[in-house]
Amino acid sequence: MPDIFLAPKQNEKRKMRDYANESHVNIFSSFCQNPIGVSFQTQKPHEVIILFLRSHFATNSSWIIFTVILLTLPIIINLLLPLFRIDFFSSPTVVRFTTIYVLFYYLMVSAYAFISFLHWFYNVLIVSSERILDIDYSDIVVHNMAEAKLSHIEDVRYTQSGFIPSFVNYGNLFVQTAGTEENFEVRSIPKPREATDIITELTEKK
Amino acid sequence: MDFNFFNSIFSANLLIKIITLIAILFYAIFTFVVFTQVKVMTQILHLPHINGILKIISLMNIILAISLFVFAIVIL
Repeated sequence: MPDIFLAPKQNEKRKMRDYANESHVNIFSSFCQNPIGVSFQTQKPHEVIILFLRSHFATNSSWIIFTVILLTLPIIINLLLPLFRIDFFSSPTVVRFTTIYVLFYYLMVSAYAFISFLHWFYNVLIVSSERILDIDYSDIVVHNMAEAKLSHIEDVRYTQSGFIPSFVNYGNLFVQTAGTEENFEVRSIPKPREATDIITELTEKK
Repeated sequence: MDFNFFNSIFSANLLIKIITLIAILFYAIFTFVVFTQVKVMTQILHLPHINGILKIISLMNIILAISLFVFAIVIL
């Protein structure tokens, strides 16, 4: 008998989810409509994630290029040393110190790349059937979360300016909420027009 | 022989060694902070397969930092 009360919720969940547009979230996903396998800490049992957004992967190009430069720098310096007649490896003490410093340097470069990736990966905007949730990972020791009910959303708009954003199709999304609730701003998300349409459609339903 | 010269070289070496070890130790602590933060973020946002990979990478970072610290103590 208790199943009678469970069934409507499942049907409701089924109605909210558009199975034709389902997509799996992989490590590089930045725009997922009806994502599979994603959930968040405060998600209610009947709540469905409609949209999962983060900045376009192209926005990572600056730190990726910088990391590649940093990785190749010791190799270039090693190649240039003989030109200046500097023999770093003449003394065993210097060799030992150089080994440690080079290893330490590569560890720090890898940590820089990892943290930059985390910064991109954990800056997420989630639109569920009930609310909009902004997860910010601004610093290695700072993270914050903001949320607003869909019924409190007053205005959704986007801007797309510049050659690269127009070419790769990404832009900034602004969500204005009513009253004292925080406004949301997500930068460089892919398909901003589609995202705006989806959020507007959801808020109109509420 | 100028023993003061050898003493100064020895103390300079020791000073650089200590500074290097402190820097690596700070880095090891920092990697632990990164691991803790990744753990917190994986609790906030559940992405089953990806979260596991990130946890492993951050754990490897700690292991490598500690290994470097031990290696530095041994060879410097």
